[in-house]
Amino acid sequence: MRKYHLVRRADARLKRTLIYYAIGILVSLIIGAIILVALGINPLDYYGRMFTIGLVGNRYGYKSIEGLLKIFVPLLITSLALSLSFKMRFWNIGGEGEFLIGAIAASIVAFNSTGMPNFVTVLLMCLAAMISSGIIGIAVAALKVKFNTNETLMTLMINYIMLYVIRYIGETKADWNFFLRDDSERPKFGTFPDSAVMAGIPIGQFKLLWSVLIALALTAIVFVYLKYTKQGYEISVVGDSSATAKYAGMSVGKIVLRTMFISSAMIGLAAALAVSSAGTISDTITNNVGWTGIIVAWLSKLSVPAVFVTSVLISILQYGCQAAATQYPAIDSNYADLLQGIILFSVLVADFAANFKIVRKEDAKNA
Amino acid sequence: MLDVFTLFLFNIIVYNIPLLYGTTGEIMIEKSGSLNLGVEGTMAIGAVVGYLAGAKTDSLFVACVVSFIASGLVGLLFSFLTVTLQANQNVTGLTITTFGVAFYYFIGNALSNSASGWPKLSGTRLDVQSQAFEIPLLSKIPFFGKALFSHGILVYLGVIIAILMWLYFKKTVPGLKLRAIGENPGAADSLGVNVALYKYTHIIIGSGIMGLGGLYMGLNMGGTFEGSNCWINGYGWISIALVIFANWSPAKALLGTLVFGFFNTLRVQNAALAYTFPDTLGWLTKIPSHFFSALPFIITLIVLITSSLSSKNKSGEPQAIGRNYYREDR
Amino acid sequence: MEYAIELKGITKSFGPVAANKNINLSLAKGEILALLGENGSGKTTLMNMLSGIYMPDSGSIFIDGKKVEINSPEDSGKLGIGMVHQHFKLVERFTALENIRIGIRNEGRFLHGADVRKKIEDTAAKFGFDIDLDKVVANMAVSEKQTLEILKVLCYGAKIIILDEPTAVLTVQEIERLFAVLRKMKEEGHSIIIITHKLNEVMAISDRVAVLRHGEYIDTVVTKETNEKTLTELMVGRKIELNIERPVMDKTHPLLEIRDLTVKNDEGAIAVDHINFYIRGGEMLGVAGIAGSGQKELCEAIAGLRKIEEGQMIHEGESIVGMSPKKILEHGISMSFIPEDRLGMGLAPSMSITDNMILKNYNESKGIFVDRKTARIEAQKVIDRLEVVTPSTETPVRRLSGGNVQKVLLGREIKSGPNVLITAYPVRGLDINSSYTIYNILNEQKKKGVGILFVGEDLDVMLALCDKIMVICHGRLQGVVNSDHTTKEDIGLMMTGTVNIVNKEGKTDGIAKDSAITDEEGKA
Repeated sequence: MRKYHLVRRADARLKRTLIYYAIGILVSLIIGAIILVALGINPLDYYGRMFTIGLVGNRYGYKSIEGLLKIFVPLLITSLALSLSFKMRFWNIGGEGEFLIGAIAASIVAFNSTGMPNFVTVLLMCLAAMISSGIIGIAVAALKVKFNTNETLMTLMINYIMLYVIRYIGETKADWNFFLRDDSERPKFGTFPDSAVMAGIPIGQFKLLWSVLIALALTAIVFVYLKYTKQGYEISVVGDSSATAKYAGMSVGKIVLRTMFISSAMIGLAAALAVSSAGTISDTITNNVGWTGIIVAWLSKLSVPAVFVTSVLISILQYGCQAAATQYPAIDSNYADLLQGIILFSVLVADFAANFKIVRKEDAKNA
Repeated sequence: MLDVFTLFLFNIIVYNIPLLYGTTGEIMIEKSGSLNLGVEGTMAIGAVVGYLAGAKTDSLFVACVVSFIASGLVGLLFSFLTVTLQANQNVTGLTITTFGVAFYYFIGNALSNSASGWPKLSGTRLDVQSQAFEIPLLSKIPFFGKALFSHGILVYLGVIIAILMWLYFKKTVPGLKLRAIGENPGAADSLGVNVALYKYTHIIIGSGIMGLGGLYMGLNMGGTFEGSNCWINGYGWISIALVIFANWSPAKALLGTLVFGFFNTLRVQNAALAYTFPDTLGWLTKIPSHFFSALPFIITLIVLITSSLSSKNKSGEPQAIGRNYYREDR
Repeated sequence: MEYAIELKGITKSFGPVAANKNINLSLAKGEILALLGENGSGKTTLMNMLSGIYMPDSGSIFIDGKKVEINSPEDSGKLGIGMVHQHFKLVERFTALENIRIGIRNEGRFLHGADVRKKIEDTAAKFGFDIDLDKVVANMAVSEKQTLEILKVLCYGAKIIILDEPTAVLTVQEIERLFAVLRKMKEEGHSIIIITHKLNEVMAISDRVAVLRHGEYIDTVVTKETNEKTLTELMVGRKIELNIERPVMDKTHPLLEIRDLTVKNDEGAIAVDHINFYIRGGEMLGVAGIAGSGQKELCEAIAGLRKIEEGQMIHEGESIVGMSPKKILEHGISMSFIPEDRLGMGLAPSMSITDNMILKNYNESKGIFVDRKTARIEAQKVIDRLEVVTPSTETPVRRLSGGNVQKVLLGREIKSGPNVLITAYPVRGLDINSSYTIYNILNEQKKKGVGILFVGEDLDVMLALCDKIMVICHGRLQGVVNSDHTTKEDIGLMMTGTVNIVNKEGKTDGIAKDSAITDEEGKA
């Protein structure tokens, strides 16, 4: 005889959700610690190093911050972009592919920019990346709107196609291939001319790249866009019920196209900023932001402030793992991915606990 | 000249059977109404865990069982999160992929860096057991015999699984119930079908099958671990695509595997073909290998788009796919 | 008396809403019990606890005198309970045989391993069903689907059969056939519960009637010893005469004229077939028809949400054919449609009342921002005027109860000051008091000179409220009648297609004498 059953909670309180999330993250860290212990590593020591991202006792601490920001900026912008499309219930999981398209477009500008002023070059790189990624976004959205083609699988395929495109560029020696270094026998991506490298504001030894400021500004803009503008309102309605949106006289197709353009263009922008900051391109330039961004957006329940916080935390996790790897060579960045997965699993459980409750069934007294 | 074709056909089968495992596994899961995007990760876990167990015990049988169990456990996790906890299927599946691939590298790196090192395959009994053998008589059939009937045991197992699954869906009551759940879980539920139990069972079995595919890939690559290249190498994703191509039918998955495999093999074999037929196929070498690598994805993209143009081709798609079922939802 | 089912003290809540409060109910063996109650009185919820969809929060269930626990539909089936749900639980892509096969126990694991087909055919023959077992459900008519549902539960050997509003989708003839089957089942010793809110059917088929009201059990009476009037009183709780006001206005010129309108449904079949009608200012035109006769498609066509195949739609002398929904809205035609789930069309359920207020005019404010300040004030006005019960203007609409959701929707439609108001099922699922509020709102609009198209379910209400009633059957116009000169029975006959008064005695029904459409335009 079953005495308990599950009931969906009628209200969702923020406080309760946050507490459960915190418990979930704690549990994940404990699981992570068990793995570390199994490998003979003191977890407290490791976590200590990971969360201080190599700042403590480092003469070049500013380098750590710079490294962290290089992970953080693309992740933040990509997660924001993905939240935008998810809010519309459009399953754009093509972050990787859109990022690569943007990176390639930006690099084309960069490699041909010798002699141009820095500001102009970077601006052109951003524009090229945004337009080319945006066009892919529009194409996918158009197919979805027109023929109801499965966008999840479409964007998925684009990720892989683009991966092979960039590998092709990176591994093919040819006269036309200006992406590669001339002075190397083996095919190898070249570095950008100075004109295409992201500038910044020096603060002591530390250089605050413009890309960081752009990312922060973008966060504020997306927040306002979603919450206060008419277009943001339209996205919410379409995501909530596209029948209602149609009924209200919104042209759903146009909204989907527009939002997907913005979303992919933002990912393109993230790519342009990333290649410009790195001063080069590679087939690992995405650092998996297309995938991680999905996890960030979901962990944050598509809320912009939460996306910001989660991006910071995930960046610390990832960069911390890299930083700790100098001390513990056995543990590389895969540990970060592993932990990330465990955290998401725990948070999904926590989310359930916050939305459902177990009710004890009362037996009737007259029975 | 005949040899080239025989070899080509042989290679199509050898290199692409993992796709069949991945696809049939995913079909089983999708037929229950769940979309699992974690094929890549599930295969990776099944591969690495199965291989290690096999290397430890020096037994292919143990390798298969452990691989099935390990990836089945991943399936259990997916079912627990999406069926019991009602989590979003897309996100859960993607996380399983991130997690599974990271797990693969993590274990691989940890072992490679350890004193004992990564276990080698060549020369072991495991290696011998997974080697191809010739089926008497059948393998003597000219042209086809060698290509079709001289493979490792896992190749045949994959084909048998596909055929059995096809019969299961078509001819059995549990298969009918499973399809009913994928179409309309509310209806199945009202008829006393235990929706959660069915979903759990089939997601776990489907994941287990994927794991075998992963194991096969590992063995086929000589069991060598590379820090930068995962054994699965996108085959999990192609499998998801192939499900659509096969219109959710395990029998058509066999055909799909051959078609996709053809292009995949072209990548490996184009030089040999061009060498044998310099006049007619010489141009093949001009095409970069990356293009052949990307071809399965390009084809899937085209299939996706063309099949969405007409509704007929999607007749096998379960109607309730991707949506979680909660009985008391009104 | 021996009881097949006894329910004692059953209580079930959904969040803060109690759907069933301490209900006691009994079903004698071999009887037909009608479960009577208004929409939203908790009938379906109660029965879903017998079929294992829901579990009661408290209370106990006895089957054949034994206390039982029903945790799932499987438990329910094993106890011999079979339920025919209002929304059929069928797999559309399967054949009838496959649908039945899913639930058959103990017949082996292979589809054609046992003589399943023979058994099903025998059962069908025994109860006089005429059914093609190899037909795919998607190709079946509604009545066929229902037959299949009933055959299904019979094949599973159910002794207790529950039917949830089985007559809602049937024609008169089909209802009689259904009742014949029910009587036959009774003779065979089955016990039956039939949920309905149609009194004539209760009187015709049942042995006893159990009445629920607002989730509470009221009484069980023997059908022979009662009458429709008493039952109504039990059902609605007080003696009521339908006393809906119908102000008589000076009618103006036709505001909206529809000529030869033909529209297809989602499946591509003709849903609205060459319909003609017009609405004058200050007039309320009812639309009566069996559910699914093209009402939805008609509303959507006028609102510009559905492409029309043929015909004309003239609003104040201007054609609105091919206009976008937004343009039509700006023209002053406002449409509100309450679908069965109440939230599907017209409201964004996860968004606040404020956000829903501006759904149609968010674009009118200047600049790129949404004007939520005004929206909040408007939301508050609607809340005050229509007495919407809500914690605040920022509460997501999904959290409101049904009646309040509908008030929000109607409040918004009226706010925009339309001159043609199309409203479909505005009182769906509402209690009497809320319904009256809605009727008053509509009448107020009528007094302002707005032309109203009222798509309804309850003929009594429509006769009292509307000036004229247009009857449709399978998308075809059966005639337009004046509410003062007709009866429920006449309309009923027209709804089922038995009577068609269009073009009788040279009257071209549905075309205004002072039409704004010239003959030539009409032909075009």
